[in-house]
Amino acid sequence: MPDGGAGVDVIVGLTSHNDVGTVGAVVRALQDGLARYAASSAVRFVLADAGSTDGTREAVREAVGPSALVEVESGRGAELGEPPYHGQHGREAALRAIIETTHRLGARACTVIDARLQSVEPEWIDRLLVPVLADGFDYVSPYYARPVAEGAITKGIVYPMFRALYGVRLRQPAAGEFGCSGRLAAHYLEQDFWDAEFAPVGIDLWLAVAAACGEFRSCEAVLGTRGAVSRGAPTDLSTTLKQVVGSLFADLERRVDVWQRVRGSRAIPIRGAVGGMDPQAPTGNVDGLMESFRLGYRELREIWTWVLPPRSIVELRTLTETAAERFRFDDRLWAGIVYDFAVGYSLRVMPRDHLLRSLTPLYSGWLASFVLQMEGASLQGIEERVERVCLAFESEKRHLISRWRWPERLR
Amino acid sequence: MPDMRRTGSAHDPLWYKDAIIYELPVKSFCDANADGIGDFQGLHQKLDYLQSLGVTCLWLLPFFPSPLKDDGYDIADYVNVHPSYGTMEDFKTFLQAAHERGLQVVVELVLNHTSDQHPWFQRARSAPAGSPERDYYVWSNTKQRYEQSRVIFVDAEPSNWTWDPVAEAYYWHRFFHHQPDLNYDNPAVVREMLAVLDFWIDLGVDGFRLDAVPYLVERDQSSCENLPETHAIIKAIRRHIDERTPGRMLLGEANQLPADVRSYFGDGDECHMAYHFPLMPRIFMGLHLEDRQPIADVMERTPSIPDSCQWALFLRNHDELTLEMVTDIERDYMYLAYSMDPQARLNIGIRRRLAPLLGNDRRRIELLIGLLFSFPGTPIVYYGDEIGMGDNLYLGDRNGVRTPMQWTGDRNAGFSRCNPARLYSPVIMDAVYGYDAVSVEAQDSDTASLLYWMRNMIRLRQLFKVFGRGTMEFLSPSNRKVLAYVRRYRDDTILCVANLSRAVQPAELDLGAFVGLVPVEMLGYTEFPAIGTLPYFLTLGPYAFYWFELQRPRS
Repeated sequence: MPDGGAGVDVIVGLTSHNDVGTVGAVVRALQDGLARYAASSAVRFVLADAGSTDGTREAVREAVGPSALVEVESGRGAELGEPPYHGQHGREAALRAIIETTHRLGARACTVIDARLQSVEPEWIDRLLVPVLADGFDYVSPYYARPVAEGAITKGIVYPMFRALYGVRLRQPAAGEFGCSGRLAAHYLEQDFWDAEFAPVGIDLWLAVAAACGEFRSCEAVLGTRGAVSRGAPTDLSTTLKQVVGSLFADLERRVDVWQRVRGSRAIPIRGAVGGMDPQAPTGNVDGLMESFRLGYRELREIWTWVLPPRSIVELRTLTETAAERFRFDDRLWAGIVYDFAVGYSLRVMPRDHLLRSLTPLYSGWLASFVLQMEGASLQGIEERVERVCLAFESEKRHLISRWRWPERLR
Repeated sequence: MPDMRRTGSAHDPLWYKDAIIYELPVKSFCDANADGIGDFQGLHQKLDYLQSLGVTCLWLLPFFPSPLKDDGYDIADYVNVHPSYGTMEDFKTFLQAAHERGLQVVVELVLNHTSDQHPWFQRARSAPAGSPERDYYVWSNTKQRYEQSRVIFVDAEPSNWTWDPVAEAYYWHRFFHHQPDLNYDNPAVVREMLAVLDFWIDLGVDGFRLDAVPYLVERDQSSCENLPETHAIIKAIRRHIDERTPGRMLLGEANQLPADVRSYFGDGDECHMAYHFPLMPRIFMGLHLEDRQPIADVMERTPSIPDSCQWALFLRNHDELTLEMVTDIERDYMYLAYSMDPQARLNIGIRRRLAPLLGNDRRRIELLIGLLFSFPGTPIVYYGDEIGMGDNLYLGDRNGVRTPMQWTGDRNAGFSRCNPARLYSPVIMDAVYGYDAVSVEAQDSDTASLLYWMRNMIRLRQLFKVFGRGTMEFLSPSNRKVLAYVRRYRDDTILCVANLSRAVQPAELDLGAFVGLVPVEMLGYTEFPAIGTLPYFLTLGPYAFYWFELQRPRS
């Protein structure tokens, strides 16, 4: 039951962990934005700090002031093992605390921002909160401009699969920032995924899925490029892939009754101009990616035969023998592979960790192909290419449903 | 005082509507201590198998202390575990492990009678007539009371009354003479049984199968079945459960006609579930006649039940295929069709497992399971039927369908490491159904096996709540060898079509109510031509059945 007595309209949630170098600028940008775009709203900042020791909390207290700040308990980084790919310890606990506060104070809208970001602008308030406050949207997902090889897991797996499964064209459904309505916040608190395996890394995606699966209005917000200070050594590709894809697959089991009934997908409104963004030059060691793929074929082919049908294995073999200049990973093949891994994950054909990690060379192959094709491409070109990947995932969804319903045990 | 009650595993109070129940005798499933008798530790070891099969609820046959003259339905202590099956700690460990795997557990509550070895009966027979102790059971100085009441076990019992030389009176028993009926006119008996219920609820069990529930109360000038006083007792039990721990399920065993069984649901204030006994023989009859009429008739005569209630559906169970609820002519037909060997007949029924009844014909087995899974209700799978286990007609009573589970091709079918001579029952060893030919291990390594097929069917069924919760409407194609019906629940509409015949059959279905929708075959997710205004034509292979989702066309 919301405690509406506080008269709060908006919650600005900050997740932090030793971010004293950036959090001050983040708060100032957000305060500017609030003054500009939500001046009539009663605002509370909610700080979900994961045990900072560098003065982050103090910096926020000083910037926000005691009357406008709520500090909530969040996960303690030292208590957690492997850091998730977002680099945010105890992220699910932080988000839950912010959303619970939103609900408790009866706020109409909430946005969550990572305190380590360097790219926060006052306009983010306009993009993330105003659609909720003024236009009746329940979920606002950021749309960041990214180089070809950055966020490629999203471009090649998360977005196409999310869109095919849930029918909503959210391009970055696992992004760390979002806006949501009080109604959606209440819905989030009813979900049973908060304590699930993968929650620390999957929670952002699952929140987007929960919004897509319910009767909620979603839109996207153009936020430019996402610049952030790293919180430590970058996670290796295999671990990142395991975390992201694992959380996507884990949610699949929870939402079977939804995604097996969704047909096609629908575009959603976008706030802000996409065209003005610079995608930056392509990056990525294409030769290294292709070699990783070929090495994976040699070393992991036997594992793949547990989940991939012979036709896919043969196509992969052909690809390993293809010269670099003609190296193209077929979209249909790629979609089928991801779906077959999802079925294998569901059936537990082998330890899930092994299965997910064995996807890495295949992803490297797809990424090499993607980067090669996107050399010199405009943002529009990248969008069109990703669109074709998405259409392949939508087309092959029948294959996923068919195999999910009547699995063909390959081994 | 803190509330020590442990919660069951299900969050949805209507969980039983979406369940797939697996019925098993603990003694037959797996023997962990090599004494030749299955036990809770063995069952615990096999929970991963049951989870991978996809069933969601385990119904355990009686496992309580008992002289075992009626396979445990003669209970001598309601609140303990028979030492052959382990200890109470073993049960608790098993229950927790089952809940951790998302499996609910239903246990037996034999309300109607106890063993004659139960302390209540021993006390009663020695107590003076008219005393509170004596009053726990039903006594008479003459056999002439309740004469309108039929004898159920006609092959074994000449009368429902047996003389007790200690009490110097006759005692009433609707089943075997060693199972005296409790006296439910005595409030103390009701209190005792509620205490038994509380004991198991406190341990965390998710439901109770109320055995022989129509016979609780006796009255002169009546059949002593389905009496209003019996319903009052069941309502009291239900009220007690709802007040104490909602979400626990009561499954009533009332081998009666659907109209009589209907009363055991009350207004949603008696049993949550009850068996649909008449359906099962008519499915077998329809298959043998290659005619849908027996099935359609019984379903159309099935009364509606309260929203919170559910039919329990089964093809086979631990008893004989009962023919009590069919006509004399139908019974004759069933005997001729399914039990030419007189050894297969017992009481008023046929004591055979599913696979032998169907001539071990894989297509017929699949068809009947397809019907079981798509009819309105919660299906019950009898242990071993998922691998097509056979039976042993040369074992007495119903023991032929209660042989050890066949896990492997090793000694004792992998059921036990004991000396084979020590087994509670010989394993099936014949050439067709023996454990050399039929076992979990063998079928686990064969992707075309019945076990794999069952896993897939269960997985598929569990994706659609419509099967457990939806309505059912029969279609009437002119070809009576074809059974077609539509299930609906919320936005889901499922068309089920089955060919009861051994030959290919055509079917013209009137799908006028669904013009414009696209049938998508559910197993392969294959899109069929959209439904138009003309009859929808299908060709069905021998014993084929199809499930179609009727979807809106893609825009």
